[in-house]
Amino acid sequence: MSSQFNQVLVMTRANLLSLPRRSAIAASMAFSVALVVCVLAGFLSMAAGFETALKSAGSPTVAVILGGGTNQETGSDVPAGVIRTIEAMRGDIGAARGSAGNLIVSREIVVPVEKTDDKTGQTKMLALRGMDPTGPALRDGITLTTGRFAGLGAREIVVGKQIAAAFPALAIGQSVRLGSVNWTVVGQFSSGGSAFESEIWGDLDAVRAAFDRQGEVQSLRLRLEGIDAIGTLRAALATISDTPLNVVTEADLYAAQSAGTANLIRLFGWPLALLMALGATAGALNTMMSSVSDRTVEIATVRALGFSRFSAFIATWVEAIALAVLGVFIGLMASWLMFNGWQASTVGANNASLSFQLTMNGHVMLTAGLLGLAIGVVGGALPAHSATRLPLTAALRARG
Amino acid sequence: MSDQPTDTPFIRFRHVKKGYRIGGEAISIFDNLDLDIPRGDFVAVMGPSGSGKSTLLNMLAGVESPDAGEIAIGAARLDLMGESARSAWRAHNMGIVFQFYNLLPMLTAAENVELPLLLKPVSAKERRIRVGKVLDLVGLAGRERQYPGLMSGGQQQRVGIARAIAADPDLLLCDEPTGDLDRKSADDVLAMLRLLNRELGKTIVMVTHDPQAARHARRTLHLDKGRFTEEREAA
Repeated sequence: MSSQFNQVLVMTRANLLSLPRRSAIAASMAFSVALVVCVLAGFLSMAAGFETALKSAGSPTVAVILGGGTNQETGSDVPAGVIRTIEAMRGDIGAARGSAGNLIVSREIVVPVEKTDDKTGQTKMLALRGMDPTGPALRDGITLTTGRFAGLGAREIVVGKQIAAAFPALAIGQSVRLGSVNWTVVGQFSSGGSAFESEIWGDLDAVRAAFDRQGEVQSLRLRLEGIDAIGTLRAALATISDTPLNVVTEADLYAAQSAGTANLIRLFGWPLALLMALGATAGALNTMMSSVSDRTVEIATVRALGFSRFSAFIATWVEAIALAVLGVFIGLMASWLMFNGWQASTVGANNASLSFQLTMNGHVMLTAGLLGLAIGVVGGALPAHSATRLPLTAALRARG
Repeated sequence: MSDQPTDTPFIRFRHVKKGYRIGGEAISIFDNLDLDIPRGDFVAVMGPSGSGKSTLLNMLAGVESPDAGEIAIGAARLDLMGESARSAWRAHNMGIVFQFYNLLPMLTAAENVELPLLLKPVSAKERRIRVGKVLDLVGLAGRERQYPGLMSGGQQQRVGIARAIAADPDLLLCDEPTGDLDRKSADDVLAMLRLLNRELGKTIVMVTHDPQAARHARRTLHLDKGRFTEEREAA
């Protein structure tokens, strides 16, 4: 091993072993780093959970056709004539067909309905989606956990897992009033925590009749031949001039919906975390300056023996980084315990409540961890530099 | 190894000037200081506070530079070297014994003694052997794993001496090496320094306030107001 490496190793070891002498101030630095990591991880896990809920709902092989020039289901209107034209199209339009050569398509409408939470007494807006019987099959990853799907034309509903958990009154077999009519809950479904779990599904005609929306279709879903087929479908539908159509994959539709809210969450989270990080960096600087002051005689002594400035710099820097790593570890552990899987809800698309779980994924942990580490790297650099500039005479005139 | 100093000066100060500015006021410590110390000598430097002893030791150790003049130790011109070069030179040619030992409390006696050897291209095995030898030489065999905090002042200073000689330097600088010790421990330490001078031929410069300590040296230089006022050979 080279002499330089040996010097760095022994000085770093001596520094770390001397930490108990400065345990209070070292702990305060680790704690402030942990706090910063917690705050950022909290916001990022919220954004990540929201994105996961929406993005995992979208399939790249399902196309969503919206009418009226909008890119959201609310406000969209796909005229019946357009639907008939699409269903009548022959040849390769990029859409998959059933055994009879028909398109696999579902006409859908989303109605916001009020429901009072039995536990909290709060009224929430929920999304009631009316769909053709093909609708559930056009959702990837859907599992009917209990019961069955709604019957054709019947005032029956199936509820998503998140809704079922939040509203015990929506248990299977219960009758519930949504709008001006009563509905019977006949099933529950799950979709791996995606946004679908925040919806209530019913038969298209029954929903339209209950809310006086006869003949209205907001979106048309159809199965694509493959993930590259959306272009072919767009080209085929470009010939329709009755209404401006927006043809997107379901994945893109939900990604676009998630981006705005997730970015807003990050927009709040980052400045707060950065501001706290600035304070923590000042704290780290103070801690490490105290450390250098505490070790003045030791540093000056080994420098007087012939140890290099480089070794004094690295040893002090490593101490700062080690404390930051400790803070990052504590912060991530605390964040994991506090936030991961925590149930939250917000207003999603269609002005309805959207439930999601905070997600401490690898990206969240890496980003929050790197910010915590940066506190040690930046906050430790200046004190490390000052350690190299200590007057060596300090060793000769020092007491012990 | 010769037990007599040679005539050729090992340490040479020529026309050395050194001063400080304190509160805007220039204070001269040395003005045209000359000094010759032959190889193998054991010199005690005495003088009242403010006489320049510490500044002399700092310049000898290369931790301070003269404002003018030459400082040579052996073939090395310390006054012409930069900080890094002086640091590297010190690592290979000089051992320092501090008044308050300056041991690293979180390292064992052996690890403290090993420090100067880390600066040399010496294998871990060789370092262990060398550390064992010097600790044996200072009478601390078997205390390799003991921490300084559990040792008496005299034992700590012996670890300090072992550290100073571990890399086998030609020159030992001792800054009040007995200033913090009781008489018995001080005598043991001084006897050890004399042994290192007589038996191993180390050149030793020792700054001290203690006339009894100075008697262990071959000669004593009295410094007052930046000038050597008296030179006395040991009896």
